[in-house]
Amino acid sequence: MTVTRSLLILAAIALCVALPAYLPRHIVDLLVFAGIYTIAGLGVGLLLGQCGIANLGQIVFYAIGAYATAYLTVHLGAPAAVGLIAGMVISAVLALIVGWPILRLTGYFLALATLAMGIIANAIFFEWEWLTGGTLGIGGIPKLQLFSFVLDTPLRFYYLVLGVVIICMLLAHNLIGSRTGLALRAMRDSQDAAISLAVNPRWLQTRIFILSAVLGSVAGSLFAHYGGFANVQSFGIEKTINFLLIPVLCAATSLPRVIVGALFITFLPELLSQFGNVHQILFGGALVGIVVLMPAGLVGAVSGLWRRRADAAGAIP
Amino acid sequence: MNLGLFTQSLLAGVTNGLTYALIGIGLAAIFKGSRVPNAMQGEFSVVGAIVVVLLLTGNGWPYWLAILCGCLSGAILGALIEIVFIRYMIRNAAPEDSYLLLTIGIGLTISASVLYFFGRESHLLPGFGSDRIYIVLDAVVREHVIWLIAISSVLTFALRQFYRRTSTGLKMMAASIDSEGATSIGVNVALMRTFTFMLGGALGAIAGILITPIVPVDYMVGLQLTLKGFAAAILGGLTNPLGAAIGGLTLGIIEAMAIMGVSSSYKDVITFSLLILIMIAMPHGLLGRAGRTGG
Repeated sequence: MTVTRSLLILAAIALCVALPAYLPRHIVDLLVFAGIYTIAGLGVGLLLGQCGIANLGQIVFYAIGAYATAYLTVHLGAPAAVGLIAGMVISAVLALIVGWPILRLTGYFLALATLAMGIIANAIFFEWEWLTGGTLGIGGIPKLQLFSFVLDTPLRFYYLVLGVVIICMLLAHNLIGSRTGLALRAMRDSQDAAISLAVNPRWLQTRIFILSAVLGSVAGSLFAHYGGFANVQSFGIEKTINFLLIPVLCAATSLPRVIVGALFITFLPELLSQFGNVHQILFGGALVGIVVLMPAGLVGAVSGLWRRRADAAGAIP
Repeated sequence: MNLGLFTQSLLAGVTNGLTYALIGIGLAAIFKGSRVPNAMQGEFSVVGAIVVVLLLTGNGWPYWLAILCGCLSGAILGALIEIVFIRYMIRNAAPEDSYLLLTIGIGLTISASVLYFFGRESHLLPGFGSDRIYIVLDAVVREHVIWLIAISSVLTFALRQFYRRTSTGLKMMAASIDSEGATSIGVNVALMRTFTFMLGGALGAIAGILITPIVPVDYMVGLQLTLKGFAAAILGGLTNPLGAAIGGLTLGIIEAMAIMGVSSSYKDVITFSLLILIMIAMPHGLLGRAGRTGG
């Protein structure tokens, strides 16, 4: 990593730390959601960017994290860490059991299989009232507490989410740079060559699938603590499509771009809601526009524009 | 088990299955002709059905004319999508997964527009024919259901013949299988793709019009139909309209048996679990490799 790049990242982190203190409460609220979606979207992004797998089942693990936190903290009175870890463990085990057979499939078939997984899970959450509270859900999830510091305002929670996002980004960055990351890239670009070099594609994909599930579960636990409730309406098909859109909108090739996707997915509907009931149409239209006009995603389009302007000015790109 | 209950739920399964089949056939036709996985096929049905509802109850048009216009609206919508978006994206060599996103986006836009312009209420259409009721093997059958079974069977057969015997059908397949080769022998590839989308749109609209006397249409129905249609098409191997028809029937019957045998609340769990299992066990669809070639 070059010096300028590290400086840029440090500046961005400093901005993320300093700016929200001066922003209105509802913007910070949206930023918290953007952070939570970044974590879940990062999992989908790793699968999409490193393995070329479109995962439409992230909502399953997001919901498992939320329900594990809700059930354990509310019904059993367990500390928040227990709920978080239980969600991660259940998600990892489920991802292993489901991922191993499903990852035999490829392309659209795999995408549909993960979507089917989401639909199955949604039906089960709806029916298992003893666990999930059905449509009413589980309310009264306690606020998170770091030692004796209660995270009861959006701003305080924001800093926690920011910390988790940074940690996840760092871990993911190390993963991509590691031996496993090299194997992943080899597998994505030329599977046959990778197999000949003793890379086991299915096991590698399953491991990334598990990692993605764990990230989804962490995001779900944070969501449950922040919102204070978990109900089945929060875990529908629209949400799972959004999780896939996050990495796709920014072309999933580099990690920090996921943040841009998450910001887009949280702020655009909010901005458009000023126009009244038309906002859903506008959101769909915006999505179509981005897909058609910016094939490299939002960030790709902006950096392409930047490069073109730099070229025009005669500078070195 | 009592015979009436069994035939009744089998019949419900066949009816639902044929509607999934019709959505799946449209999806498979579009995928076959353009390699676009159309995640808004159910939206064609919604648009077709809404147009018929508006013309019939709003403007008092005769039913047959309204149905014709409904089918036409699906075809026009399909053509518009191809001409406005797909052509542009193909010219710019858009990445493969962006077509899936494009259709998801269009689907969201259409469903939001239906919500905005027509509201949340759902609409029913009158059944085809005289809406009489027959008793077959202790089960009650509406006349509309007989029409539905007949029309969808004829359509499936006609589509197979269209792809096999007519020159337009063959050109459409050629344009999709090898666009450069097709161009070199004088096939207008872009026009054939427009035809493919018109065909898919019209099939989707017909599906919507055929279901609406049974299941009321509203702004949310599209996504559900698309999902079931996708399942049907994938069971059939995705590129094969006949396979999609068989896939849809299988799906509908499994669902009906699940409702009868287990409970209606777990029907989606059972059907989609079976879908995953079938995809893993039979990667080429229910008809196998043989089903991939030919109509």
